[in-house]
Amino acid sequence: MTFTKSVTCFDFYDRAQKGEKCTQDDWDLMTIPMKAMELKQKYNLDFGTETVPTDKDQMERLFKAGFDMLLDCGIYCTDTKRIVKYTEDEIWDAINNPMPAFQLGTGRDSVQMKKREVGDKRKPIVQGGPTGSPISEDMFMPIHMSYALEKEVDTIVNGVMMTVRGKPPIPGSPYEILAAKSETRLIRNAASMAGRPGMAV
Amino acid sequence: MTSDSHEVSQLNELKIDLDAIAVIAHYKGNSDIIMDEQMPIFGGYAGGIEETTIVDIATSLNSMVMSSASWHLDGPVHIRWGSTNTRETLQIAGWACATLSEFTDLMTGNQYYPCAGPCTEMCLLEAAAQSVTDTSSGREILSGVAAAKGVITDKTTGMEARMMGEVARATAGMDIDSVNAVVNNIVSSYEGNYANAPEGKTFQECYDVATVTPTDEYVKVYEGARRKLEEFGLTF
Repeated sequence: MTFTKSVTCFDFYDRAQKGEKCTQDDWDLMTIPMKAMELKQKYNLDFGTETVPTDKDQMERLFKAGFDMLLDCGIYCTDTKRIVKYTEDEIWDAINNPMPAFQLGTGRDSVQMKKREVGDKRKPIVQGGPTGSPISEDMFMPIHMSYALEKEVDTIVNGVMMTVRGKPPIPGSPYEILAAKSETRLIRNAASMAGRPGMAV
Repeated sequence: MTSDSHEVSQLNELKIDLDAIAVIAHYKGNSDIIMDEQMPIFGGYAGGIEETTIVDIATSLNSMVMSSASWHLDGPVHIRWGSTNTRETLQIAGWACATLSEFTDLMTGNQYYPCAGPCTEMCLLEAAAQSVTDTSSGREILSGVAAAKGVITDKTTGMEARMMGEVARATAGMDIDSVNAVVNNIVSSYEGNYANAPEGKTFQECYDVATVTPTDEYVKVYEGARRKLEEFGLTF
């Protein structure tokens, strides 16, 4: 069925107010496991021992199973306890219109994000950093600098500062905001001190 | 508008809260690069390897529909070990990424959560196994490394990311049959040690903090891991 317009976060919000009601337990313990098991059987999926697949026919079946999982289940909104559904054409519209290649970072420290393929000869982008690990306030800058100093690293992914001005960044408190802003500023400083001020975060 | 990635996270599995939807509106209003993140759990709500991979594909597609994502940051994680580097989670990541690479133009990354801590051979080998898997299956971004499962304060360093990058360089262009043999060799070398994974050292213990330089001890551990990877079939 032709869709009215491309789905946006605003459509998602509106549908989350009116979609089918469901408890979170039913979603987690019934909808997800039952549908995943059903689709595994429907599309006869068995990966065997390969970590990276060579069986293109099974990969196509896996893609259809993943597509059907999203189409049949939709997405559960934990605030409204309702299910947001998409049509088949709405999902294809999004798949067919991805963001094209783009730049991460600026100047000589920038890298180009471009589509890779299975077995691609180009090295992927290396986003180095603590990846959400807890980091002490004192060590925050040197630890992030240790990544920026590595030439193999292209962009930075941040750690989480455990205190800011000696206080825990409790969610919803002003310390949380101070910690978030301080993290970004200290990472920028770390990259600059490593001689790479244009690295993307 | 910046050239940084702006994160919004989905919830396990195929769930979201309205705060995240408001954050997406903010990012779109600024024309920001949007990184949609989610780590499907092997052994969680979805269940086994194939079922979790199906959910991983659905979640990745949802990043395009719901979040207008510029790229999706994946990270299949093992429910018991809290690691992305197990045989099962590497298989989920490998199949999901190769399938998305084949049938869509969505760009994806993967997150690194090894069991062992910094300055240990096991940590570097865990990172290497995932880097081989991610590079060969078509990932655009490798994101890590959160050593010691990313839960111990100050237990991450730049050396683990160096390994991730060097292995990616060595893997790019390898044929997939060779890739699978190498991954099997690497994973076999550490998969019996998850329960007793070496804790490793903090950044302060394995770097000179003033000069931000790894200690001789860590450089030797790194060299040892690199030699093992050559024995396992990688050519640096």
